[in-house]
Amino acid sequence: MRISEHPIIESYHKGKQITFTFDGKELTGYEGDSIAAALKAAGVMVHRYTAKQHKPRGIFCAIGRCTDCVMIVNGVPNVRTCVTPLEAGMQIQTQYGVEPKKED
Amino acid sequence: MKRHELIVIGAGPAGLSAAIEAKKNGMDVIVFDENQRPGGQLFKQIHKFFGSKEHHAKTRGFIIGQQLLKEAEDLGVRVELDSTVMGIYENKEVTVKQNGEVHHYKGDAIIIATGAAENMIPFKGWNIPGVIGAGAAQTMMNIQGVQPGSKILMVGSGNVGLVVSFQLLQAGCEVAAIIDAAPRVGGYGVHAAKLARTGVPFYLSHTVVEAKGTDRVTGAVIAQVDEHFQPIPGTEKELDVDTICIAVGLTPMSQLASNATCDMELIPQKGGHVALLSEYGETSVEGIYCAGDVAGIEEASSAMIQGRSVASHVSMKAGYLTEDEFESKYQGYQEALGQLRQGMFAPKNKGRNDFTETDEGYPISKTLLAHGYMTEEELSKFPAASYQKAGIHPVIECTQNIPCNPCQDACHFGCIKVGENITRLPAIDEEKKCTGCGLCVASCSGQAIFLVDETYEEGFASVTFPYEFLPMPKIGDKGKALDRQGKPVCDAEIVGIKKTPIMDKTAVVTMKVPLEYVHAARFYRAEV
Amino acid sequence: MIRVANPEPFVEREDDDMIICRCEEITKGEIRRAVYDGMRTTNEVKRYLRSGMGLCQGQTCQRLVQGIIASELKVRPSELGMIQGRAPVRPVEIRTFSKNVTDVKED
Repeated sequence: MRISEHPIIESYHKGKQITFTFDGKELTGYEGDSIAAALKAAGVMVHRYTAKQHKPRGIFCAIGRCTDCVMIVNGVPNVRTCVTPLEAGMQIQTQYGVEPKKED
Repeated sequence: MKRHELIVIGAGPAGLSAAIEAKKNGMDVIVFDENQRPGGQLFKQIHKFFGSKEHHAKTRGFIIGQQLLKEAEDLGVRVELDSTVMGIYENKEVTVKQNGEVHHYKGDAIIIATGAAENMIPFKGWNIPGVIGAGAAQTMMNIQGVQPGSKILMVGSGNVGLVVSFQLLQAGCEVAAIIDAAPRVGGYGVHAAKLARTGVPFYLSHTVVEAKGTDRVTGAVIAQVDEHFQPIPGTEKELDVDTICIAVGLTPMSQLASNATCDMELIPQKGGHVALLSEYGETSVEGIYCAGDVAGIEEASSAMIQGRSVASHVSMKAGYLTEDEFESKYQGYQEALGQLRQGMFAPKNKGRNDFTETDEGYPISKTLLAHGYMTEEELSKFPAASYQKAGIHPVIECTQNIPCNPCQDACHFGCIKVGENITRLPAIDEEKKCTGCGLCVASCSGQAIFLVDETYEEGFASVTFPYEFLPMPKIGDKGKALDRQGKPVCDAEIVGIKKTPIMDKTAVVTMKVPLEYVHAARFYRAEV
Repeated sequence: MIRVANPEPFVEREDDDMIICRCEEITKGEIRRAVYDGMRTTNEVKRYLRSGMGLCQGQTCQRLVQGIIASELKVRPSELGMIQGRAPVRPVEIRTFSKNVTDVKED
């Protein structure tokens, strides 16, 4: 959930509202969001499923160190969503191993 | 390949400070940082810093960050962002990833200021989404403006765990518990106390054994541990949380020093593997230096001074400072560092748990270490905490020797004294008058100063306390006064609120309570 | 260091399936087994199992791996050495290496 009012922080310096897609579904975020923050605000917890054990992973360190939150962004896999700024029209996909979900 | 007199790696507090110092001395310096914004982790620190008044104490971390950035900009320090240093090679050649390309630079000197990474502890389910680092929580709530969760278990009671827990409350989250495998609260007692009085429970000698859930955390199982830190069967307790936040210390990010073939050693007091350094911060490879957390885990305040100190040595070696100029700068920086490295929580005392009394000879509160708050009986041993006189006056519940002194300058009448040694506990000068202005209350980074008036009204006393939450109470509001462990003790009415720019968003709130609760009431909760 | 085949059989533990290296999904049991198989330092275990060789380059797990090896060998972690820092110390895509800028451009 987004923080609407904070006792110490006056502004989070967000720009205008923009739309992007997550697994084909349209979502909204703000300029100035990281991809991970926009997804978190939209309630998305799972960013990827691991290659070996197929276990879900999400945000862990949020500063680009642990690489747990990587996803497929505009077709490119392994993008660290916590340090990548959200852009209008971005196509973000859950990553399975290093690929998008296979069509069954 | 491009050549610079000094390459600084990392634009956090240490790196920026180093670059500022070098640039001021006339050096050609370039800073690389892999992030899109400079400042390292300073911008997510929204609490007031400890330390001496001369070195940013009582200023919030992000404001120190803004000041540092402005200083760097005004001087024209060149900071290359989105620039990941990949490796350091022979002759101080550095490869940097910029714009998806590998660029080569050579530095006559290099300062590594790459900071630290968070430690983690593994437990069943620790890779389920919803288990996060404490730094991640800070980034989400303080930079991105998104709550990291709604109900949070904090694992770790060091300063990071305590500070982040408080910030979670400020962001509107619920902190279900703070746990630590150690039998004592690891961080400053004042940080623990300001959480305990809001009602956050502390479970010491406890660890997290399992994160419940499949695609997201739906609960946490904690258990008591024995003296070998092993969970005791049968003591498990399930907590209803959606987020588990891990704050179990930091490790220096020293890979670049290792890559540059510097002699390394695992030094537990410094938090992990660090390069062996000379007194000036130089590694075993001539011209390569380390500053800040990568040299050993400390506070941001020390990192900033270290950065300047190291860069002054580099400047001297490069001929930009005479030996005398360097000596005098170096002495000044070492004195400042020396002040910050005193007290019970000093780096040299890391891991020590045998303190039984303060430097002044007062017995240390055991309840504070075990539960995060102090009993009235324990506080009565501290003169400034049990001070009584007719009319309004301060009560200072600061009971550990930590390097901090803004309170003594906050009072215009000189009522509070810390003295030369900034780890001394503040003392109250009974001769000096208190006007009840509340500046000391707002100035205390540990939120440990209260104003008390036992003669407020017939049968009633007033208690004034710092308040940094929303919604802000209004005059005339009625609710409950909470004691130091967050338990409601009596009815309370808000009778005063002060918020001035100099208080920097710490509101100073006064409540009226029945006289008999004057020594118990320390916080307020609105009637729901 | 003299290495001899371990005469005792490998003893499995309840928490052996716990992931330690999150990137490469290496479990505690695999690390314990690697030590049993004769790996003695953090670097050796890294090369044997790929623990710490994933995207994050051991940022999260190095200490944990070290702790497990140390407790298996009953030595102090400081005796095991750290993972040798190697370039690239941060995750860099292979294609970046094909774009090596060597010309000197004035900015």
